[in-house]
Amino acid sequence: MSLSEPILLEVVTPHKRVFSAQVSEVSFPSAANGYYGILPGHTPVMTPLGQGLIYYVQGGEKHWITAFGGFAEVGSDHVTILARDSETVDEIDLNRAESARQRALKILKEAQTETDLNGAQAALDRSIIRIQAAGHPGGHGF
Amino acid sequence: MAGLQDIRRRIRSVKNTQQVTKAMKMISAVKLRKSQERLVSLRPYADKMKSVAMSVVGRIKGHHLADELVLGPSAQAFLNPREEKRIRVVLIASDKGLCGGFNANVLKKANAFFEGRSKADVVLDVVGKRAADWARKNGFKSNREYLGIPLTGVERVSREVCDGAAEQYQNGEIDAFYVIYNHFFSAVAQEPVVTKVFPLDLDAPANDGKSSVAHLLEPDPNTTLEALLPRFVETEMLRSLLESSASEHGARMAAMDKASNNAGDMIARLTLTMNKIRQASITNQIIEIVSGANA
Repeated sequence: MSLSEPILLEVVTPHKRVFSAQVSEVSFPSAANGYYGILPGHTPVMTPLGQGLIYYVQGGEKHWITAFGGFAEVGSDHVTILARDSETVDEIDLNRAESARQRALKILKEAQTETDLNGAQAALDRSIIRIQAAGHPGGHGF
Repeated sequence: MAGLQDIRRRIRSVKNTQQVTKAMKMISAVKLRKSQERLVSLRPYADKMKSVAMSVVGRIKGHHLADELVLGPSAQAFLNPREEKRIRVVLIASDKGLCGGFNANVLKKANAFFEGRSKADVVLDVVGKRAADWARKNGFKSNREYLGIPLTGVERVSREVCDGAAEQYQNGEIDAFYVIYNHFFSAVAQEPVVTKVFPLDLDAPANDGKSSVAHLLEPDPNTTLEALLPRFVETEMLRSLLESSASEHGARMAAMDKASNNAGDMIARLTLTMNKIRQASITNQIIEIVSGANA
């Protein structure tokens, strides 16, 4: 374990291990309390994960991972994210996300039923998160 | 001479069978690979989920304020074990046979598990036709039957099976939740196991030092537990289904491999017999001709 990057960040989903490496800083969205920023030596916390962007700092650079619900467990030297779904920036298909966004917007305008509306809203949120993630490989934080 | 024809026919039939078993073996190999990939990619998640759930439940249980917490249905199911009178069991076998001891083993395990329990006290869900047949034969009334589940359908099934399990516990309908399935070790090694999903057996040793850390549960213990524990149950169920699926294809592959080899042995034996008969008849004919010429 390198001293400058003392947090082991692990992101796993039921489909694959998305990410596992030593990092120096992590931020993730919780379901209830907004974003958590984790530095080494953080007090152990467990909380449901919200939707949004996880970022981690490795080698002085920020990197982004999407997160769509699940669980986060934080210890003084590790962060474990059990996500329902998650992907690194490299895995995001920007064109697909953009067309999903357009489709969702269209449905939102025309939706008749509550279920349609909710489904479209959820799809819109997901596509926006992906587009945001793809938009800043090293960009600004929140 | 009649023997020769019969043996030829026999060889042809065994060859056909061998072709079928070979094809089945190859199909199983492909299916095994798919199931195994899915299982291997789920395992890290399931293991993490289990260690997290164990550590949280263990913590809350040992906490001095545990009695004062108002617990939701899932937390109750995990934290307050009571005498097991009525139990919920999910029995996982396969839809098709020709897979060696796969079904026999898991059903034997089920027989042993249910021995001494009253059938009325078991809420049984079965996955796979063989399990459903077994339940009918043994006088169990199965609650739900899942037949012909494709690999893509396992997630839906695990969601459906687990839906409301915690509430059943809270309402006193069940006192524990078990799964009986074949655990997958490798393509040639499977073992039937009975696992208890909840209440959690906390006597099992925690597998890493991290689980001894006291976690803050945010926003509050109840919300966190009610979000975590149903996911844990679902993940365990999903893992069991995938373990069983991989085991089934592994077992079938091994059985079909053995069958193909046996067919090969049989053909070799029959061919030897056939040649002996053929040679004997030729020898006979020569003797007849020679003795005829001499006469």
